[in-house]
Amino acid sequence: MSDLVFLIAGLFLPIFPMSMVFNEVFSRVGNRNHRIALLVLWPQIGIFFIFASGAEIPGWIASWGLLTALLYAFRLLAIREMQLWISFLATSSWAILWITLQNSGESSPVYLYALGISLPLVLLLFLSDELIKRFGAAYTGLYGGLALTQPRFSGILVMVVLAVIATPLFPAFFTMIQTIIVSSPVSLVTAILVGVVWLLWSWAGARLIQGLIVGPATEMQTPDLSVAITKKYTIALVLLVVFGLLTLGGLP
Amino acid sequence: MENLVFLLPLIPLVSALITHLWADRLGNQVTRVSVVGGVISFVVAVLLLILMLNYDIDAQVSFGGSWGILLADSLSVLMAVVISGISMIVRIYSVRYMIEESGYSRFFVLLDLMAASLFFMVTAGDLITLLIAWHAIGVLLYFLLGYDTRSHSASRYAFWTLFTYRVGDIAMVLAAGLLYHAYGTWSLAEIFERLAADPGAHQYFGFALPELVGVLLAISAFARSAQFFLHTWLPYSMAGPTPVSALMHAGIVNAGGFLINRFAPVFVHTGDVLHWLFIVGLVTAVIGSVLMLTQNDIKKALGYSTMGQMGFMIMECGVGAFSLAIYHLIAHGLFKGTLFLGAGSVINEARKNDGVPKDDLYTFVVERKPVKQQKPWLIMAAITLIVPIFVLVLAHWLVAQDFFQKQGAIVLLFFGWVTGAHLIFSTYQMGSQNIWRLVGLIVFSFAIIVLGYAVISHAFDLFLYPDPAFRSQIYAAANIDVFWFDVLVVLVTIIMVLGWVARYYTEKNRNQTSKHLNSLWMSFYALVSREFYMNDIYAWISRFILNLATRLNVWLRWR
Repeated sequence: MSDLVFLIAGLFLPIFPMSMVFNEVFSRVGNRNHRIALLVLWPQIGIFFIFASGAEIPGWIASWGLLTALLYAFRLLAIREMQLWISFLATSSWAILWITLQNSGESSPVYLYALGISLPLVLLLFLSDELIKRFGAAYTGLYGGLALTQPRFSGILVMVVLAVIATPLFPAFFTMIQTIIVSSPVSLVTAILVGVVWLLWSWAGARLIQGLIVGPATEMQTPDLSVAITKKYTIALVLLVVFGLLTLGGLP
Repeated sequence: MENLVFLLPLIPLVSALITHLWADRLGNQVTRVSVVGGVISFVVAVLLLILMLNYDIDAQVSFGGSWGILLADSLSVLMAVVISGISMIVRIYSVRYMIEESGYSRFFVLLDLMAASLFFMVTAGDLITLLIAWHAIGVLLYFLLGYDTRSHSASRYAFWTLFTYRVGDIAMVLAAGLLYHAYGTWSLAEIFERLAADPGAHQYFGFALPELVGVLLAISAFARSAQFFLHTWLPYSMAGPTPVSALMHAGIVNAGGFLINRFAPVFVHTGDVLHWLFIVGLVTAVIGSVLMLTQNDIKKALGYSTMGQMGFMIMECGVGAFSLAIYHLIAHGLFKGTLFLGAGSVINEARKNDGVPKDDLYTFVVERKPVKQQKPWLIMAAITLIVPIFVLVLAHWLVAQDFFQKQGAIVLLFFGWVTGAHLIFSTYQMGSQNIWRLVGLIVFSFAIIVLGYAVISHAFDLFLYPDPAFRSQIYAAANIDVFWFDVLVVLVTIIMVLGWVARYYTEKNRNQTSKHLNSLWMSFYALVSREFYMNDIYAWISRFILNLATRLNVWLRWR
């Protein structure tokens, strides 16, 4: 029975190769609202199944989850299409939660950890749509130089990317700290691998930022984000920080 | 009174917020907010230092919760004075220097945020605050170094810095995880207290906790302070604006020394970690200096110079001279910051005026006229070897008569002696119509520097570590077996003397060197000029990883 539960959970809290299902679904769903729902709800279903079963997570499943996180973080380095980038990072981030679940179980707010990972990704999804509207594609290295032509968009993009790669004080930062802290006394190798995953996210995030905002100004004249929309993004980011500090920042 | 510590990070945070919000309304004038914030921070830091010197404060304040604790102790306040002073000067300098750059106000926002993060780092009284500050500094430095978004190379080298710093961040998170698991608290004061009560109480993976945590913290310090293998970012980070280079070399790259001092209560209970610090620091100091000497780009040479200095700073920690490392990082920060900030105006001035002062001393030292007959080498050799050791022993004896009982002090004396001897040896080789005057001037300068260094570092020792028992404990932790210590001293002395002899014969037979030796020398020069191929190796590994990731994606059909 528990094997079936973990199989279902492994679909929603992605474990390779079942993780490919999420990436396939995410790429096929064209509607933005459906994509948002996928980003927010997909991992919650997985966590729900695990908690509902009450079964203890075996070590091999957690290790498999960690290797999945590592695999997708590694593959993320070569991704230039932004929506695929979001999908891969979501897979890698959610897979890390297996380690948290194994070491701290129901005592930790894993639902909130997953939400803290999903919400910044939703913001990034909005930004990628903005890019598609302006340039026809959200693709790094294709146009570049946005910092000069669209300073407001670039500023928001940088902040959102920092949020998704778990920079302080965003919620995912506390999730990563918690994951490393609970795993380091049990297995140093696991904790180091979680650290490597985090390092790969930073690398991929820097590549994404560099591919979009760095470089000479593009010749394509497109409008920047309006002040009103910039304010909305800023408020969302501030709320994310507050959410991180108040819910996950308490730490044990 | 200790609540003033809150103001240190809060002032630059508020200043960053106001600068950002008022940038459109005030235009370029908005940078005055940042400058005023910098001045107030400096005044607060100095005030705290004065209060600390008079009232011996050692307290902690908290934002509430299990973390968010700030320390008002001698180390944090001293570092805060340095950081506030340097960041204030950098901000004032940037007002004119950066005015023609796009994103002028953004630059000041980043500077303010960096100052706030640095204040959080030096005053952090718990592991989470320290982790946040440590991580944030790397991220902010990435954006400061890559400030010119038009430049792909600036962005690439900024990324090298970020990546190296992230390696250090992760080592620190691992250390924090182990400490939290062992003691169940984030508070540094509580952790240190419990650790001191029973250092051997916790074992992880077959290692004592202090040993394991010490190694992880050392890796974190190595990444931050550009130690060998983790140094390649430093010389290439010059693509950033000059004020950023000044701030980085004066207040960021030296954080490794600060970290080791902050965790001194952990390091005193480690066995071999301090010895590894010494070895890594020594290798970095030597390699950094060698690379510096072979650079034809002045900025890269300055970068490698910093690497060498950071190596020396870590080496000082390795011999137990923790407070000396703090003095070193402050002294280095001040002179390197001055070099960076002054370089532009010096070049500008030199274009108009040769800048040669026509006084007697300058003419004597710089425009030397060698005499045909040199002084007997035996006398000069005796002076070379005896004078520095005499000056060094006298200076140290004046400040602390028991210094001979500390191995670390002897090691540093040894390095001081080698440096002094080499200085006089080089002076002798320079040749002059009045060699005694030249040697006299050099010995006088050397004595002033050594005396100043000894007196000030002793004062730092008393200020940072007022407990004599703890001071002795630090030196004791760095000690090695007396037999091996003596063997090492003799070995290094032989190497140094052989080096001098080799140099003497090379100079004497300058035109008769063998082809084989020449070829060997040129190969070594090529190796050094290519920076030991380390950048090429890292670039190759990076390309390999990216290619492999692409192949994997293709193989898995991008799902």
